Amino acid sequence: MSRSISTSALKRKRPESNSLNDSLVDADRAVFNVIKSKEDMGIWTRDIKWETSLPENVVNKSLKSLLNKKLIKEVVNIKNKGRKHYMAAEFEPSKEVTGGAWYVEGNLDKELINVLKGLCLKIINSQKVVTVDGVYDFLKKHKVTTFDCTKQQIAEILNSMVLDNEIIEVKSTGLGEYHSFPIGTICYRIASGAGLGKGLKIGAMASIPCGMCPRISQCTPDGIISPSTCMYYKKWLDIEF
Amino acid sequence: MVTQHGIKLAVYLVSSFYGDHNSKVCECLIRRGTLTLAQIIRFTELSRENVRHCLLALIHQNCVQAFSIQQEGAFGEAPKIVTHYMALFDNIIHHMRFPKFIVIVKEELGEECEKVFEALLQHGRLSFSQIVDRHKQTVSKEENFNVDNIQESFTKLVNGRFVERCPAPEPFLAPPSEEETPAKKRGAKSSKVREVSETIEQRALAAAAPMESIRFLVETHNWSDVSDKNNAEKLTAVTIGKKRKQDFLDTDGGLLDKDEKKEVLWRVNFEEFIRRLRHKACIANVMSRLNNECGIVLSAILELTRSSETKVNTGSTASVSINAVYDEVIKKQGGLGMNLERIRACLVELGCEMPTIRIDEEYSIDLKSIIELAQNEEVESIVLKRYGREAYRMFRFLSKSGRLHETDKIADTTFVEKKDAIKILYKLWKDDYLQMEKITVNGARQTQFLLWKVNRQSLWEHVLDEMYHAALNLRLRIADELEQEKEILQMPKDKVTQVEELRKRYERLKKVRIIYESSLMNLDDALMLFHDF
Repeated sequence: MSRSISTSALKRKRPESNSLNDSLVDADRAVFNVIKSKEDMGIWTRDIKWETSLPENVVNKSLKSLLNKKLIKEVVNIKNKGRKHYMAAEFEPSKEVTGGAWYVEGNLDKELINVLKGLCLKIINSQKVVTVDGVYDFLKKHKVTTFDCTKQQIAEILNSMVLDNEIIEVKSTGLGEYHSFPIGTICYRIASGAGLGKGLKIGAMASIPCGMCPRISQCTPDGIISPSTCMYYKKWLDIEF
Repeated sequence: MVTQHGIKLAVYLVSSFYGDHNSKVCECLIRRGTLTLAQIIRFTELSRENVRHCLLALIHQNCVQAFSIQQEGAFGEAPKIVTHYMALFDNIIHHMRFPKFIVIVKEELGEECEKVFEALLQHGRLSFSQIVDRHKQTVSKEENFNVDNIQESFTKLVNGRFVERCPAPEPFLAPPSEEETPAKKRGAKSSKVREVSETIEQRALAAAAPMESIRFLVETHNWSDVSDKNNAEKLTAVTIGKKRKQDFLDTDGGLLDKDEKKEVLWRVNFEEFIRRLRHKACIANVMSRLNNECGIVLSAILELTRSSETKVNTGSTASVSINAVYDEVIKKQGGLGMNLERIRACLVELGCEMPTIRIDEEYSIDLKSIIELAQNEEVESIVLKRYGREAYRMFRFLSKSGRLHETDKIADTTFVEKKDAIKILYKLWKDDYLQMEKITVNGARQTQFLLWKVNRQSLWEHVLDEMYHAALNLRLRIADELEQEKEILQMPKDKVTQVEELRKRYERLKKVRIIYESSLMNLDDALMLFHDF
């Protein structure tokens, strides 16, 4: 079997794992080898069964004993949180498995994101116009964060703030407040509406009950849902007074 | 683009302004397209007399346009000329906007003009002497009645392009060219015929419109005879249809007198008002999105270029030199302190490219992109309100990129949990805010990807329809409230003020009405943003 050859090659390089491997029973070893061969991607239990062609109960037993010996660990795969994935203990889960820097144990790290957003907003507020590099350098120089942020991460944060309409993306014109940036550089600045505490502008349609109504498509003058009996309008008028 | 709820709103408007018979005729015309008198009678099941009256009233209120075309006769018969009627959907909806139009006239030309203008709005079409007559009746004895004043106001209105000459009552369209005739003869319902008939309606409107050179021409009395002859000559082609029409005008005993045929009829020029409202909307958007100075510069440029605009939804303004802009800017309120540098900075923010060499500096503003941004804002704020913050972010991402994206990619970029992302996207898709495509990849294992996209064209239509729906709902609510409080409204006023409970109800009604009506006016701005601008 080609797999056993490749594992034997591994064995030669790492004598200590060699001895560990020796102490395992055959089934455990087969399972462990399959898991290890997947490196930082991990593997799903059913795939282990399929690749080792062992019956389910044997695989489960092996997994249990390997977990006890701390040779493998369970990891959460972002794409299929319900499925149990295993990985050899010495590997760190790859980006594809964890979902990238923003995920902690398979969940989106909203706290981290919000903290970073707040920081970026403060920086932009104080500097008026910034670039990704500017924010990154600022964070680095002042050691604001206890962890390392990549430029890529900062760019992602700023991008999501643009989508939130908190800041806007502009191209430097080289004039006025953009004088320190070469023409054409992508800069970020506060959106004028949000910056003045006005919040987002609410459109004409969105400010009446029909604009928010999830049932508008079923609403007819003589139907069960009709404007004359509409509860949303009643509530709306109560608030308006 | 006339949507289902747009039709409902138009029909409701006609029925509330001009009664049920008119709305029936109108609905028939909007839903079925251009029809002949006989067809209208058949479809509406109204009497001939009624339909005639309705059509006459609707034409008079600029809601319907008649035109005649030559139709092939049956076997052995000579081709005959048949009059067709088409509903003017936009003009019907404009009826909702009359208060706005009045405000514009009042602000720009003063109250004297407002009175003349109101008369025109109310009656649809009037000749100058009719305006004078009407004015005579309304003026109380103490006030001095002066024809010259009215003449002056009227001339101001025409010069400001607020009022224009009425289109020809029934232009004759030459028979369609030869390739088209076979399709026409068969009367088939193929899509090709519909295309042809659409062009017929456009052709009719174009043929009816007065020539640009006389559209805003006020003649002194000495000339009117000459112009009549000209008109008569111009309309010779119409004689047959016109004769018929006049016959029935005569038999009707005259909504229009015989004398009037000699006089030029005038009506409100809706186009000019929509243009002004469009400019206003652009300026308001720029002011809130950028800053006041940009708003001032834009309004100066629009002031300079307005008269050269040929159609309402023109893409960008004509080019104006920086000096002309400067001269106009310093006339504006708040523009006095601005210098060339600041104006240039504003122009850049408004999307203009700075020339490298500053000789003959000329700028033109892209209005279309401003309108598009305003439309985006409106739709996005609906998404925010209805589906929440995360949906808003995802929607904006898709709308900005303008192409298909995979679920995971969307979730990653917008920081939304993947599980939630798919739920939100699905909800948006179900309500027609997004378009979805499934892609199945046959690899080692079969995997399915869901791709999402904002389809602007269909979404805009959908949003517009919802807005028409909402506008109709608001109007129905207003009517409901008035109906409920009918007794108070019919009571004498001093009685209402005496009884506490009645007074409270009256106050409540007043407030509710203000809320509804101001919401309706705002909503109407949004309607124009999507339909007219």
